[in-house]
Amino acid sequence: MRQDRLVARGQLRIHLGAAPGVGKTYAMLEEAHRRAERGTDVVVGFAETHGRKHTAAMLGDLEIVPRRTMNYRGAEFTEMDLDAVLARRPEIAVVDELAHTNVPGSRNAKRWQDVQELLDAGIDVLSTVNIQHLESLNDVVEQITGITQRETLPDDVVRSAEQVELVDMTPEALRRRMAHGNIYRADKIDAALGNYFRVGNLTALRELALLWLADKVDDQLDRYRAEHNIGAKWEARERVVVALTGGPEGETLIRRAARVAARTPTGADLLAVHVSRSDGLTGVDPTQLARQRVLVESLGGTYHQVVGGDIATALLDFARGVNASQIVLGASRRGRLAQIFSRGVGVTTVALSGSIDVHLVTHDQMGHGRRPPSVTSALSRRRRLSGFGLAAIGLPVLTVLLRLLADDLSLASDILLFLGMVIAVALVGGLWPALLAAVAASFVINFFFTPPLHAFTISQRENLLALVVFLLVAAAVSMVVDLAARRTREAARASADAQTLAMVAGSVLRGTRPLTALLERLRETFGLTSVTLLERAPEVSAGPDRQRDPRAWQVAGTVGPAPCLTPAGGDVEVRAAENLSLVLCGRVLAAADRRVVEAFAAQAALALRQERLAEEAATARPLAEADRMRTALLAAVSHDLRTPLASAKAAVTSLRSDEVDFDESDREELLATADESLDRLTRLVTNLLDMSRLQAGVLGLSLAPIGLEDAVPPVLDEMGEPARGVRVSLPAHLRAVLADPGLLERVLVNLVANALRFSPPDRPPSISASEHGGLVELRVTDYGPGLPHDQWERAFLPFQRHGDRDNHAGVGLGLALSRGLAEAMGGTLVPEDTPGGGLTMVLSLPAAEGDNA
Amino acid sequence: MTRVLVVDDEPQILRALRINLRARRYEVAVAADGADALRLAASQPPDLVVLDLGLPDMDGVDVIRGLRGWTNIPIIVLSGRAGSQDKVLALDAGADDYVTKPFGVDELLARVRAVTRRTAGAGETVATVTVGRFTVDLAARTVRSDDGREVRLTPTEWHLLEILIRNPGRLVSQRQLLHDVWGPQYQSETNYLRQYMAQLRRKLEDDPARPRHLLTEPGMGYRFQPE
Repeated sequence: MRQDRLVARGQLRIHLGAAPGVGKTYAMLEEAHRRAERGTDVVVGFAETHGRKHTAAMLGDLEIVPRRTMNYRGAEFTEMDLDAVLARRPEIAVVDELAHTNVPGSRNAKRWQDVQELLDAGIDVLSTVNIQHLESLNDVVEQITGITQRETLPDDVVRSAEQVELVDMTPEALRRRMAHGNIYRADKIDAALGNYFRVGNLTALRELALLWLADKVDDQLDRYRAEHNIGAKWEARERVVVALTGGPEGETLIRRAARVAARTPTGADLLAVHVSRSDGLTGVDPTQLARQRVLVESLGGTYHQVVGGDIATALLDFARGVNASQIVLGASRRGRLAQIFSRGVGVTTVALSGSIDVHLVTHDQMGHGRRPPSVTSALSRRRRLSGFGLAAIGLPVLTVLLRLLADDLSLASDILLFLGMVIAVALVGGLWPALLAAVAASFVINFFFTPPLHAFTISQRENLLALVVFLLVAAAVSMVVDLAARRTREAARASADAQTLAMVAGSVLRGTRPLTALLERLRETFGLTSVTLLERAPEVSAGPDRQRDPRAWQVAGTVGPAPCLTPAGGDVEVRAAENLSLVLCGRVLAAADRRVVEAFAAQAALALRQERLAEEAATARPLAEADRMRTALLAAVSHDLRTPLASAKAAVTSLRSDEVDFDESDREELLATADESLDRLTRLVTNLLDMSRLQAGVLGLSLAPIGLEDAVPPVLDEMGEPARGVRVSLPAHLRAVLADPGLLERVLVNLVANALRFSPPDRPPSISASEHGGLVELRVTDYGPGLPHDQWERAFLPFQRHGDRDNHAGVGLGLALSRGLAEAMGGTLVPEDTPGGGLTMVLSLPAAEGDNA
Repeated sequence: MTRVLVVDDEPQILRALRINLRARRYEVAVAADGADALRLAASQPPDLVVLDLGLPDMDGVDVIRGLRGWTNIPIIVLSGRAGSQDKVLALDAGADDYVTKPFGVDELLARVRAVTRRTAGAGETVATVTVGRFTVDLAARTVRSDDGREVRLTPTEWHLLEILIRNPGRLVSQRQLLHDVWGPQYQSETNYLRQYMAQLRRKLEDDPARPRHLLTEPGMGYRFQPE
């Protein structure tokens, strides 16, 4: 039907906002002005300023089409005069509040339908809409704000707009605008509105608006996701593990892994792990590792160390243990030649990784090798085989060479050369290849070089001696080699231990829960199931069963599943202190590891003591605080009691004095002074008694339904002259609250007295009430100087002023007591900013059941 | 007419004091905070200041210091702070007397009279003063009982008695007495004071356990109360 129009359809531009007051109308009018200045014919069809002066000023000199006035059920309403706008035929029409429902009897039920007509007529329209009015978001908005939106409009209307511009503002800024009174006047704010403008609500609405818009930008995402995206945020977080070798490329890897983690849509945890080889032959640089650890922690990740024989396996075990989804590894640093002989850690990891993604990251250190190949290596199987190989190849080669040169060399040189070969074999392969080589060499020498040649006989005794020496030297050298290798292994082991211990010390110093961190580190390092620090109960006497009596021990700290409850229950037990025992479950440790575990145990005892001390300090702090409070309370109470007492006594003693005769008016004034002071004293004493009853828990509540319209007037009467100016506006059909009549009165007296104290003389406080979600909220609003937010909670502590400094500006017992009483009645008392300046106390009380007056 | 400046943030107290002082023919000015008090004292210097220590804008002790910067007018502190530390602080800052709330109007007025008398009669020299049944001759430095017997006083006792007698009715702080009698380096040796005051009372009071003329203001100082 639209296609057969002759005119081109107008364009719709929508300013979308998350909440009222973000500045949609303002932005729309700004746009209108811009267009008008460029010579476009702009009229305002309908603009709602809500009495906001900045917005009203923005209307400026724009041409406004007069609204149509309509009568509905005896009330007058104004609506956009659609026909007038159509007849005016501007190029652009400004029409506020697209979701508005027209007064019954209008041509269209909804304003967006009016706008469609304008568009069809070829008029461009500038409009505004709040996110909560979108039909698809209706239920989400209701969940967030607890308010059912009656005015909704189909998403398609907004979706089909040529431009949708988000008018965005942070919730905090919006609340500040609200506090300045730029959005609503103070008397407009009721329970529902107050709840609507909570930071949490506004943030959720803002998120909705941003998501909805993102959705429009990317049409691939369907509406369903827009509705449910808030919930989808809380999926399990992914974990990215980055493997560190201790080499300089670690930093590149960490940063790369952090980026991988950051790019994961739901965010990811970063875990760095360094695998110490259990043979200790790692050759890592501890300072590099320490630096990388700091880097990881500064990027929000955690640092871990595990011990394992095979790096790839240990790494994958760790990754599976922490439920990691991704591993970041450096590409091999070994040269090409080394890569031919064995698969690198990277390749092995990829092969074994299963469902875990492995990222092999290139870096500057690639192909540089770790460090010069070490000369002394342990006598592994491979080395022994090489020894045998060298013997098998070297001896024949040497024999052939010497046979060719037989005429130039003496027997002594031959033997020395063979001895050299045997030593070489010993250096490579240790004892057995060396002995084998020595025996073989002696036979070869015997057969080929000693006379008689080509026979296994030795004619000269001297040659026999040489052969024996030959064997002895070979054995001795290979033993030295073996010993050196063992020492090397021990040294490497010790350095691995030292590394672990350094980590232990570090973890105690860092962190808020040093004990748990320490135990976790121990569990990780040795691959245990659980590690538990047990503390013996002091009264248990020594006995044979003590080690297996669960009642004698209590858990001081534990990590891992299923902790051992007795020292006998674990695989390894190490004494940490006189009455502390560290119990490890999961596997039996090698004797050499025990030394490290003992160091752990000592540290654990220390960490436990440290935690206990911290706890004690933490409990001492509130005590000191309470002590300070009590002193302040005493000083303030004594001042507050003394001051009215002093005026009363001064007045009375002067009246009693017979030195002078006061005239009638002076006498009257003195009597009034005494009377007022005694009233004040009475109020204070009543409050003090209430407070002590409240604190002693003997308040004696008797809750009954009370209408606020019955509760408020007597309070104002009781407060007399000063409360006369207080404005009260209670809605006609407010539900009764469930409260104790006497206590409610005390609360109201204190709130009103407080408001009066801060009100400027020309702007008395006001009292209003409204209802929201089963609660009735009473607002006592003053227009005084207000209170900075950081002092809001302080205001509710009793006597939070400095001694006797200030009789007026300070807050005494009143608010503390009021909050206490409100909470005793199941309600709350919270402060809010009065829009435009001042403080509003919001007293929420449960509405009486079944009272729907 | 003696002009009194009353400084207190409590309107009821201001009202009661204003009525009382006016009825006794004092000229009264009132101030509700420290800044106001200092301004009023500077523009129309009063003959006496009655000052509350707990003021909304500044501490009363600072008001005392501010006044003492340029004037010697007597200051009577009127405060709800009953701790001796507070009193000593105020007296050391230069207050002449200290009355704790709640107070009897008569007592306050007596103190007002005492400090104004001192300042009014500062130039005069009093020859003899009666302390109970003893007559103290300040010129001849002798003390005689009504039966003509002479009472012997040590030089320190004399010095102490003379200071108190020359300030009749006025509170003299421990610190001032120590300073004037023993010297500036003595500040906290209040046990000396106790000892000498006890000796004076034994010599001059009828019932040293219940002195009527040489009074102790606990924690603050001593006062000579004439008949």
